[in-house]
Amino acid sequence: MSTVPDLPASGAKAGAATVVPAAASDARQAWRRLRRRPSAVISTSVLGLLVVLAVAAPLLAAAEGQDANTYHDALVDSARGGVPIGSFGGVSGDHWLGVEPGTGRDLFVRLLYGARVSLLVAVGATVVQVLIGIAVGLAAGLGNRLLDTVLSRFTDVMVALPMLVLAIALTAVVSADFPRPLLLILVIGLLNWGATSRIVRAQTLTLKQLDFVAAARLAGSGRWRVARRELLPSLAAPVITYAAILLPINMVIEASLSFLGVGVKPPTPSWGQMLSSAQTWFRADPMYVLLPAGMLFVTVLAFTALGDAVRAALDPREAVRLRVGTRASSRGRTARTARAAASEAAAAADLRKDTSS
Amino acid sequence: MRQPSARSRRLAAAAISLALAMGAAACSGPQDNDAKADGASKGTPQKGGKLTVLNTEPQSDFDPARLYTSGGGNVPSLVFRTLTTRNRANGAAGTKVVPDLATDTGRPNADATEWTYTLKEGLKYEDGTPITSADIKYGVERSFAAELSGGAPYLRDWLVGGADYQGPYKDPKGLASIETPDDKTIVFKLRKPEGDFPFLATATQFAPVPKAKDDGAKYEEHPVSSGPYKVVKNEDDGRRLLLERNPNWSEKTDDQRHAYPDTIDVQSGLDSAVINQRLSTSSGADAAAVTTDTNLGPAELAQIGSDKALAARVGTGHFGYTNYLAFNPKVKPFDNLKVRQAISYAINRTSVINAAGGSALAEPATTFLPDQAAFGYTPYDHFPAGKTGNPAKAKELLKEAGYPNGLTISLTHSTVQNRETSPEVATAVQESLKQAGITVKLVGLEANAFNEARWSVTKSPGFFLSRWGADWPSGGPFLAPIFDGRQIVKDGSNFNHAQFDDPAVNKEIDEINKLTDLAAAAKRWGALDRKIGEQALDVPLFHPVYKRLYGKDVKNIVISDWTGVLDVSQVAVK
Repeated sequence: MSTVPDLPASGAKAGAATVVPAAASDARQAWRRLRRRPSAVISTSVLGLLVVLAVAAPLLAAAEGQDANTYHDALVDSARGGVPIGSFGGVSGDHWLGVEPGTGRDLFVRLLYGARVSLLVAVGATVVQVLIGIAVGLAAGLGNRLLDTVLSRFTDVMVALPMLVLAIALTAVVSADFPRPLLLILVIGLLNWGATSRIVRAQTLTLKQLDFVAAARLAGSGRWRVARRELLPSLAAPVITYAAILLPINMVIEASLSFLGVGVKPPTPSWGQMLSSAQTWFRADPMYVLLPAGMLFVTVLAFTALGDAVRAALDPREAVRLRVGTRASSRGRTARTARAAASEAAAAADLRKDTSS
Repeated sequence: MRQPSARSRRLAAAAISLALAMGAAACSGPQDNDAKADGASKGTPQKGGKLTVLNTEPQSDFDPARLYTSGGGNVPSLVFRTLTTRNRANGAAGTKVVPDLATDTGRPNADATEWTYTLKEGLKYEDGTPITSADIKYGVERSFAAELSGGAPYLRDWLVGGADYQGPYKDPKGLASIETPDDKTIVFKLRKPEGDFPFLATATQFAPVPKAKDDGAKYEEHPVSSGPYKVVKNEDDGRRLLLERNPNWSEKTDDQRHAYPDTIDVQSGLDSAVINQRLSTSSGADAAAVTTDTNLGPAELAQIGSDKALAARVGTGHFGYTNYLAFNPKVKPFDNLKVRQAISYAINRTSVINAAGGSALAEPATTFLPDQAAFGYTPYDHFPAGKTGNPAKAKELLKEAGYPNGLTISLTHSTVQNRETSPEVATAVQESLKQAGITVKLVGLEANAFNEARWSVTKSPGFFLSRWGADWPSGGPFLAPIFDGRQIVKDGSNFNHAQFDDPAVNKEIDEINKLTDLAAAAKRWGALDRKIGEQALDVPLFHPVYKRLYGKDVKNIVISDWTGVLDVSQVAVK
């Protein structure tokens, strides 16, 4: 199925063909396959832990006895550019992950609060993108030729726009009183829904031709009812898959915007903002750079792994093919891979049985 | 109406260090600098070799009429000699004006409206032809031509008839207020007393230009040298400049420039991190390299701190400059003196200085004038905040002002991370005012929007970060644009942020401008600064300090307090 955002109609159609059998009733099957994948389990655990850390940030800060914004001028060496005193960026019993150069603010607490911004913006922007993408994609797929043309060309324009440049311009002109995380969600969400819309449209065009949709139409269902009852459930698989891919992308965009100084407002921390201030410190205080960079890396990796697992779980044929390829190239893990492939094949068989019944 | 355009241009360009944009250079805290210079420059400097200059800003203007310099600039000063120049000496001694082409720093008439200079004997251009006073007059006149704009605005403001003069191309009769009674004498007639005229005569507009060789805007490609070096190559619009010895320059007529290296290779358009990395590695030609516009950032300083050999190759530069919190008393609640005083008391200068790069890169400021004698520095601290602020006193004042439960204000800053008007400094201010019950909302503006806002009379925010540097080390250009009520610019770039207009202050500024005894003038500028300070129209935060790294083979390091960077005319590589 198509997970590549910039592959237009052809890719989407090919993908559509494979996804068609996966109807809503297969959700349990997909869920079972997903649970069997170690990558899915690990990445979900990591993300779950991150969410817990972000939500519990005030509690954890209280446990450490620090907050995000208090300056500790005595903990940095003013004569040496404000580098934290002590090894590993000033790690101590009071400051578990050290302090920020120049200010002495606690890095542990700032990382936790930074996780809040990063996760909130990434999830929020993804929701906005998916909602707009479904709405525009469905309308284009179901509407008449004129509507389809207009919406499709509009989508093309949105995809072609230099997203980061526009986002910088928008975030720079909006009033300073507007809440920044919400602004970031809106800017990223409103500018980057094009690919989702294309996938939904292609899927809709394919589904429209199928018997069960035709049957629904013949039975007298209106367009809206067809869209809601017949199409949306079938669209879930590709949309969820693509959303899992959008999440890490959005997180990186937030980090880029904050890195460029148009993200969250100081003193609110975000990982991108921390990376931005840390960029010159990579030699003098490596901890300062490695902490936000590591967090961002782990989170984006976990999201990506989860997205990949979801895609595979919803797409048994693709999964089997991939596994076979892996076995041929890496002999060391043959047994394990074969076992996995076997289970995938069984799952695929289950699916076929389900759809045929 | 005087400084605006050129000054704003200059200040806007000053991204990392002001000194950089002005082509100013210099350096070296008088105290620790001498010791370092000794350590790094063992052995007597010898003539010969090739000096490499690594810079960020390309020398895209190399016409003496178009250069906006302080004291004649760094690289330009190797090619253009001027009537007077800055004293090439370490520290405070380097803030003096000394004669260059002229025999003295100028002979004023009784009220300092007429300045007479006599040229030294034996002055020659690179082609061997003699330099005459008419060439200097012509050089000044060219800077009035529209196609050669860019220099400091003072000439147009000060010279009689300067406001309407269109330059020698449109008006070949020349400017009547510059007289050349003979080949060696030149007289300038000013429309008002200006005791600082010798400082202005250090600018490259006072370099001689032979009329026969002038081809307007193209002159910068092959300017005729009067200094120790001539331009052999100027590539990529000033990105690469190759200078070689001028055989007709003589040390006998120039006691300021040493000109030790045979060639000077100026490479610019480099990233500051790259420059500092190359200087620290010092391999190959970079061992004989210096920079005239790049300083070390806090992280680079922290990195160097642990390396003694490297630390010995760092010069310290001071430059007359003040970073401050500006109030616009037309905006509430900053019309209330008590509120302004409360903020002055609450400020934690330790946090602010750490945000600016730490104690090695910034010195706490309680006066508006820079902490240098040349400016007339008179210590005062009307609202003593101590090292870390006095929130108790601030709360008390807020109560008296009618804000017993604290207040909420906005602080406008730039989003550029320059450690001057940047988010880091704004956040440090926010945090220190929080202790006094003042909630600060930060309003970050992109660089152009930020300058537009703070330089506007009508749209100026009530409370914002600002900074100021003078064109030469004297109280006049430092205080007048900020506190002279007649310099409030209604449409254009206004630097009198407080829109302060006090007839007594205006009168005192006029009186001091009449003084030709610079020491006496400095004393009165200091007293004036101290008096204006009582109004709490601003909160001085810090004076930046510049750390300059140089290559391992470089000798004879001289960094004056005028420019704050290594003087390239003193450096030797053998």
